[in-house]
Formats: sequence, C-alpha cells, structure tokens
Amino acid sequence: MEISSNGAETQPKFALPVDSEHKATEFRLFSAAAPHMRAFHLSWVSFFACFVSTFAAPPLLPIIRDNLNLTATDIGNAGIASVSGAVFARLAMGTACDLFGPRLASASLILLTAPVVFFTSIASSPVSFLLVRFFTGFSLATFVSTQFWMSSMFSAPVVGTANGVAGGWGNLGGGATQLIMPLVFGLIRDIGAVKFTAWRIAFFIPALFQTLSAFAVLMFGQDLPDGNYKRLQKSGDKQKDKFSRVFYHGITNYRGWILALTYGYCFGVELTIDNIIAEYFYDRFNLKLHTAGIIAASFGLANIISRPGGGILSDVMGKRFGMRGRLWTLWTVQTLGGVFCIILGQVDSLSASVAVMIIFSIFVQAACGLTFGVVPFVSRRSLGVISGMTGGGGNVGAVVTQLIFFKGSKYSKETGITLMGVMIICCSLPLLLIYFPQWGGMFCGPSSAKTATEEDYYMSEWSSDEKDKGLHEASLKFADNSRRERGRSVHSQTLPSNATPPANA
Amino acid sequence: MAARVLVLSSILTFSCFAEICYGAVSFSSLERTLVVTASHRQGLLLAGEDKITVAWGLNQSFPAGTDSTYRTIKVQLCYAPISQVDRAWRKTEDHLSKDKTCQFKIVEKPYSNTNETLEWTIERDVPTATFFVRAYALDQHNNKVAYGQNTDAKKTTNLFDIQAITGRHASLDIASVCFSAFSVVSLIGFFFAEKRKGGKGQQ
Repeated sequence: MEISSNGAETQPKFALPVDSEHKATEFRLFSAAAPHMRAFHLSWVSFFACFVSTFAAPPLLPIIRDNLNLTATDIGNAGIASVSGAVFARLAMGTACDLFGPRLASASLILLTAPVVFFTSIASSPVSFLLVRFFTGFSLATFVSTQFWMSSMFSAPVVGTANGVAGGWGNLGGGATQLIMPLVFGLIRDIGAVKFTAWRIAFFIPALFQTLSAFAVLMFGQDLPDGNYKRLQKSGDKQKDKFSRVFYHGITNYRGWILALTYGYCFGVELTIDNIIAEYFYDRFNLKLHTAGIIAASFGLANIISRPGGGILSDVMGKRFGMRGRLWTLWTVQTLGGVFCIILGQVDSLSASVAVMIIFSIFVQAACGLTFGVVPFVSRRSLGVISGMTGGGGNVGAVVTQLIFFKGSKYSKETGITLMGVMIICCSLPLLLIYFPQWGGMFCGPSSAKTATEEDYYMSEWSSDEKDKGLHEASLKFADNSRRERGRSVHSQTLPSNATPPANA
Repeated sequence: MAARVLVLSSILTFSCFAEICYGAVSFSSLERTLVVTASHRQGLLLAGEDKITVAWGLNQSFPAGTDSTYRTIKVQLCYAPISQVDRAWRKTEDHLSKDKTCQFKIVEKPYSNTNETLEWTIERDVPTATFFVRAYALDQHNNKVAYGQNTDAKKTTNLFDIQAITGRHASLDIASVCFSAFSVVSLIGFFFAEKRKGGKGQQ
C-alpha cells in the first residue's frame, strides 16, 4: 500500500481532513470515525477509568479509616503513595509510547494495575491500604499515552483541543468517582451488607470498568493514522527508534524540565485536592458522607469544560499570537489559580467555600489544558519522553505538596490549602524562562539568526548519520506543519496564500 | 462610638441569655448529675458478638428536682483519648455541636427517675478502639443539660477495648483473585493473538 509523500489534503480513506502526516486538522467531538476520533474516545474513556480507580478510596475514607484503624498520618501517607507511583511510571510510559506505541503501552498498564484495584477489597491494615493505593496510582501513567496518542493523531491547529478534551474528560474520573463510590457504597449497604463489607464490594465496580476499557483499546484502537507501530515498522513506513537516543534528547531539553515543574503546580494541585477535599468538607463543615462527596465531585467534574477550555484557549491564542500567546496565557491562568487557592483556604462558610472551589478548579484545570498545548512542540523525536516528564512532574508536585502541607496533623487543612496557593504562584514563574529560537518566549521575540527556523529546531534532535538514513522524515513534516506557531501576522507574511504549504520533497 | 459599644454589648448580653434559654452549648457547662456504669466480660470485646451491660441513674447526692427538665436520656459509646491521637475526626471539643467524641448511640429513650440497665450488643460498624460510655440528659428542646460517664473526668479509668469486624469474606477474597488472574491472562492472550496476526504478514 503506497502512501504518497506529497500527502494531499483530501485523502479519501480518512473521514476527517488531514495534513501531510495524516493527522486530523479538525476535531469532531461527536464522531467516532476511525482512526482519529475513535482513538480519542478510547483514550479518554480508559484514562477516565484509571482516574476513577485511583481516587475511589478518598470519598469512602470516613468508612475505611474506621475499618482499617487508620490515623491521619496513615491517610496522608496513602494519599502521597497514590500519586507517587505514577512519577516514574509516567516517564516509563512516555518512553514505551515512543518505542511500542500508545495502544499496547496503555492497555498493558491498565490490565496490569486492574488486579491491584481488585485487591483493595481485601486490604486489612494501614500497610496493605498504602500498598494498594500506591500500585493503583501507577495507572495514572495512562495520561501520557493519552496525550501522546492525541498528539500523534491530531495536527497543530487542534492538538491543544484534542489533548485538552482527552485529558480533561479523563481527569473527570477523579470527580465522578467522588459521586460514584458513595452511591455504590450506599446501594450495597442498603441491600443488606454491613458498612465494613459494603465498601469492599464497591471497589469491584472501578476495577471491572478499568479491565473492560483496556479490552476496548486493544480491540478497536490503532497507534497512528496509518496503522499500528508493529505493522508500520515491518513495512518500513515507521522507523524503529533507539531508546537511548530518544531518552537523551528528551531529558536534555530544558523546556521539558520547566514544564514538569509548572505542571506539578496545576495538575499536582488537582491530584492533591482530589485526595483531601472530600474529607475536608466532611470534617470541617460536618456534612454527610454523601454531601461531602457531591461537593468534592464538583471539583473534578469541572474538568468537563475547564481543561478542554484550556486546550481550546491555547489553540486560539496560538493561532493569533503563536507560541508566545500560548505561554503568556498559561502563566496568567495558572497564577490566577494560585490566587483562588489562597482564597479557598481563607473562607469560612460552606457556600463561599464551594463557590471559590469551583472557580479555583476552573483555573487550575484550564492551566493543565494550556500546558499540553505547549508540550507537543517541545520535541518531535522525544514527544513521549517530554510528555512523560511533564506528566511525571505533575505527580511529583502532588507528592511534594501532600508531604509538606497535608501529612499528619502539622497544618490544619485550611492552612495547607492557603500555603499551597502561594506555592502555585511561585512555581509558575519558571515559565518566563521558556524560549524557542524560532518563535520566541514570554519576554523575547524569535531570534533573527538564519539558523532559527522550525526545521533547525526539530532537526537538531537527529545526527547527520541518522539524517543520511532518512530517519528524520517525520520530524521534517512536523516542523513544516508547526510553522503556524509563529502567530497570524507573521505566518501570513512569510508564506504564500494557501493555508498549508506542500511538504518538502 | 458609645452607640456602637452599646449595640455590641447588648448583642453579647442577648446571646448569653439565648444560651441560657436554649440550653448549654459547651460541655464544661454541663453538670455531672448522672451515674453511669458499664460492665462486660474480661478481655478484648468483639463487635457484633459481645455485649455491654450499661446502667444509669440520677446521682442521689443531688437535691430532688435536679432532673425536672430531663425528658430524654441518650447513652453513647465514646472514644477514649488514646483512640483520638492523630485522628482529628474524633476530636473532643468543648463546643457540643463540634464535639466528635461520642459517635455511636447505644440507646435513646424517655427519661425515667429510676435506675435503668440495658444489655447492648456491640454493633458491627464500631471500629477497633478504646471506649467509655457516656449518658446525656436532654430537655424538651433536645438540648443537652446534664451528663454522666463510666470513667473519671480525665477519661483514664474503666476504659474498654473493642475489636472491629474485618468486613472481609471468603467469597470476596476468591472473587478478587479470580478477576485479577483473568485480567493478566487476557493481556497475555492478546499479546499472543497480536503476534500470530503479525506473523501472518501484512494485510
């Protein structure tokens, strides 16, 4: 099957319009057409399932803490454990995606962590509780495969949107679980089970959901618009890359490290809140378990629009102002999230707390979406590693924040929340340092040097030997497609009037 | 300025009156007029199985008529200080509406002037902890007006330990193991199927 290197825009075999890499240039939410939109739906549903499992324990903690005789320290440690496993799992997942493809990588992880969720039903001590939360947390690495898959299927004009919606609707699981678990628990208890048994049975629901979503990914998904990695590697259409090179070019890119830190203070904060908010409302305002669950859920449920909103905003700003617009918007939104977090810790009444929490959630989650509007452009060869670093950084932020502010009884939860807000503002400042020679940074314009083009930036990841072997072709196409990141006024000056320039021969 | 002080002080005074009218809001303002005892078998008590015999009545050394406002008696199982360590959700607060010391109700019934006893089977949702028994006397507005407990003021004597049920069942354990094995086996199965499809060559 010949794939013409010219890649005309209207290939009859794709349901959506595509660019030269066969990535979709449009995002149609209500379509399930293979391969692009189908991949979208498979990835967000499976990611959603993992989030539901990872945060299934927090809303039931008032029951679990009595059954397993947990102290506040035990609970804090388990919360930290739940997000720390994914730190390295995300990095490993990024590399696995680069090497084996997102479909196999994510489905394997999901099916290997499902047993741990089943085993949560038989936890009987603080130690076993910590262990199940730790290993279940590994499944959050599916975030990386989701973002990688979207970045492989969708082109620059819509990549922020695709990443944002997939990430946001997956993160929704953290909110939905705060509603689902108390409901399922209540149902089982009303059927006749005793409280200490009912919560155990309830855990079968997220575990089964997770298993089934992995099956769907394996049966209906494919890695790239043109097919799966293994088949493309056999036919020679996709070059098998070397792990050491992919890894090296990922970790030596300073932008990846900055994004890892800042993502720790939007997504990390989101994870922290997922862990503490139900107990916070239950204990501070004396609410019923069910009510605390509903309020806690509304934090995570805001993801249905806030993270996608961040992604869409990133694409809109990218279209008009290029990469600089994306960076400025990210910094502004994330800093505002920090401000509202400080306010959340200060308010005393229930209704004010709920209102501030919702505003805070919108800003913090939009910042997550905005971050992944920037990530796809940091590296082409090591997209997975960069995604993994950023994603892992998110979890590091959650670990550090919970360790400093929410472990044991040192700070009251309110004080912890306020201090977390201050930390968000401080840790968003490094965004000022990100600079792309071809597009500029927050305070500097693009370099006027002759070697500051998109091609130069992405080709710097390949050695001349590798270029001789033609391994860099995909990156070249990407560089071309990413020229939009110069912004509208510059873009229209440097190119002929047709929308997408033809790919280099 | 003087007007403001006057308004503030009248608000404070009224709120104090309100407290007196509507019943005490702090534990330290309650009188310990009830005598409560709790007896049980020796050793660790098991939730769902063992029983505690609770007895309560008015302390006869108080003048007659002390219990004129008592309408209801509420006997509760309360956490001892050792079970409250590092567990803010069981914290003792003087403000009664915020106090979380007593979370399990043994019995709530109309108050009668005689000494009463009750044999109570420990419920299955009681956690593993150290407990004592406290009885509150409530007036007609359901406000706490007096109390009694089987331990001393510092909550150090007559405490007893209860062991909770695990909540686990053999059927749950087996189901967990089976489903887990199924997930892993099906993953391996998928890999084999992929390998075979790939071995057959390109489509």
